[in-house]
Amino acid sequence: MRVLVVEDDAVIADHITACLGTLGYRPERVASGEDALAAVERQRFSGMVLDRLLPGMSGIEVLARMRAERRLPPVVMLSALGTVKDRIEGLAAGADDYLAKPFDMDELVARLNAVTRRAAPVPPPDAGLAVGRLKLDPSSHSVLFLDRTIELNRKQFSLLAHLMRCADRLVTRGMLLESVWGYAFTPTTNIVESNMSRLRARLEELGCDPIDTLRGSGYVLRSERCR
Amino acid sequence: MTASAARRAPGPGRLAIQFGVAFALAMLAMGVIVFLVAEERIAQRIDDALQVHVTKFLRPVATGPASDADVIARIQEWQRRKMLSERTYLFYDATGRLVAGRLDLAAPQPGYSDVTFMGGGRKPQKGRALATRRPDGSLFVVVQHSEAAASLRALLPSVVAAIFVSALLVGLAATILFARLTARRLAETQAAADAIAQGDLTRRIPSDRLDGMFAVQAESLNRMLDRMEDMVNAQRQFSSHLAHDLRTPLTRLRGLLTAETAEADRVRLLERAERECASIITIFDALLRLAEIETGRHPSAVRDLPLRAMLEDIAETMEPVIADAGCALELGRLEPVRVRGDADLFNQMIVNLLENVVTHTPAGTRATLSLEQAGESALIAIDDDGPGLAEGERDRVLLPFERGKGSGLRRGSGLGLAITRAIVRFHQGSLELADNAPGLKVRIRLPALPDAVPAA
Repeated sequence: MRVLVVEDDAVIADHITACLGTLGYRPERVASGEDALAAVERQRFSGMVLDRLLPGMSGIEVLARMRAERRLPPVVMLSALGTVKDRIEGLAAGADDYLAKPFDMDELVARLNAVTRRAAPVPPPDAGLAVGRLKLDPSSHSVLFLDRTIELNRKQFSLLAHLMRCADRLVTRGMLLESVWGYAFTPTTNIVESNMSRLRARLEELGCDPIDTLRGSGYVLRSERCR
Repeated sequence: MTASAARRAPGPGRLAIQFGVAFALAMLAMGVIVFLVAEERIAQRIDDALQVHVTKFLRPVATGPASDADVIARIQEWQRRKMLSERTYLFYDATGRLVAGRLDLAAPQPGYSDVTFMGGGRKPQKGRALATRRPDGSLFVVVQHSEAAASLRALLPSVVAAIFVSALLVGLAATILFARLTARRLAETQAAADAIAQGDLTRRIPSDRLDGMFAVQAESLNRMLDRMEDMVNAQRQFSSHLAHDLRTPLTRLRGLLTAETAEADRVRLLERAERECASIITIFDALLRLAEIETGRHPSAVRDLPLRAMLEDIAETMEPVIADAGCALELGRLEPVRVRGDADLFNQMIVNLLENVVTHTPAGTRATLSLEQAGESALIAIDDDGPGLAEGERDRVLLPFERGKGSGLRRGSGLGLAITRAIVRFHQGSLELADNAPGLKVRIRLPALPDAVPAA
């Protein structure tokens, strides 16, 4: 999968391209907005990692130009400007996700993964969400596995629903805080971990344990364990 | 403005001239009105007097209505008695010929009229006439020489000029005096402002010699200065705390990176180094957030917030976190109260406070979250039975980087309560820490929306 990395800081750019390379991506590196526009003209990319503050043309302008030319791939925007307002501006300009520097490489990869998949057709929302034989019933906040049913509280239910929608993909804590809780701040306690452990305990009552914890990065719901 | 211009004593400026002219014009207008009213009254009295004299001269005799001869006789009788008078009586026969009276005047129209005649044969005079047509066609006329009105009019230009000039002078003088007195009172304020601009933040405006609005203004400025001094001091405090809080993890980081480490320990060392980085990042994230809220740059979506549902949601989220720390969270009474606010900020405010229970109280602590309508406020209470805070510490911990003495493990950014307080202020509410004997009582009051109004 070709990914365009637009980043003027050589150390960060090296780090990103090296990391994406080992994960099987084919990253291409440019250091300015102008070069990025030239690159998307030459070939199609499945995704783009775009720094917001670039010499010359800014990341926001790059998004606008690519959008106007209908050459905008799925984008994760990187920025040292981390306020909620900056984030909203980035998303409004056409970025699919926004990550404040400094960031964790796993976080970047997980988000890049999520946005490149998002470009593919999205499964219908909650109604009848199912992975293997694990099924969700939104009307009663209950989860079914084989012939057993348990009810979850609202948080556990949304947490499981989100993991099921992203089945077999890494979902980081940051992503869960944003999409399940809608929190724009960083809690200092282990909100995600504690709620996740409750959810896993409930799922074990059902005899189903599909969630893996990837230490330091996040969670994956394995679809093969829902059969 | 240059320094010398600033130091020069300020003159009354355009204000004196504007005020003087306005005062003079007002006096002028008043003079004109007085004159017009007086003239109107005099004219009315002349007309009334004319009517009285007509009635007197045409009064009936014992045998019936007065004949022409009676009237003529009365005129001549009057002329004998009075040689000089401001009135003249004239009698014209039906053909308009003057048969009695001494005035060279053509017969005027019946009724009131203004007439001009030759007085003493030398110069034309003006007068007011009342002519009465008698049944036989003869005309009886009374003329009043309007000297009073004429002299009044002649007086007008000089009176007006005198009023205007004196009012202008009085106005200017009053303004200049007023400006001088004002300037003298403002001089102290100016001196204090200059001193503060030079960096002396402790300087205040002496208000003991001032009165009225000047005293009120000086007090108000002094209050502003108190607040500003507090803010500047807080800022200084903040900067030095920030430097300290950043240097600590940076020093540890450098220590880790420069230490001689065996190959086997490298992985562990890198993990510790990453933790130190994470704590620096945590501080910066919190700082950014605090600045965002305090300066109002947070993109806020202010709307009606159903507090009960939101608190239930937060309790559901935080209950496992608190339980994992060996503590307990209980929901107290939750009344259905709504406030105007930003949902994200509200969530952060309550989560921060509950995280403090996790971070700063020992296992076994029980916390209670409750919500009630207290008058016009929504009162959110978070009470715990932990170690609490000493009297003097309760205000201090609300400041950035200030921690309670008990919190030996320095987890978190040290900015949690400062952020909480900024969020409370953003919502025009109040935050109070009190003794729960034992434990800590946190009270947040936010302006509640009235019950009856449906959500907008």
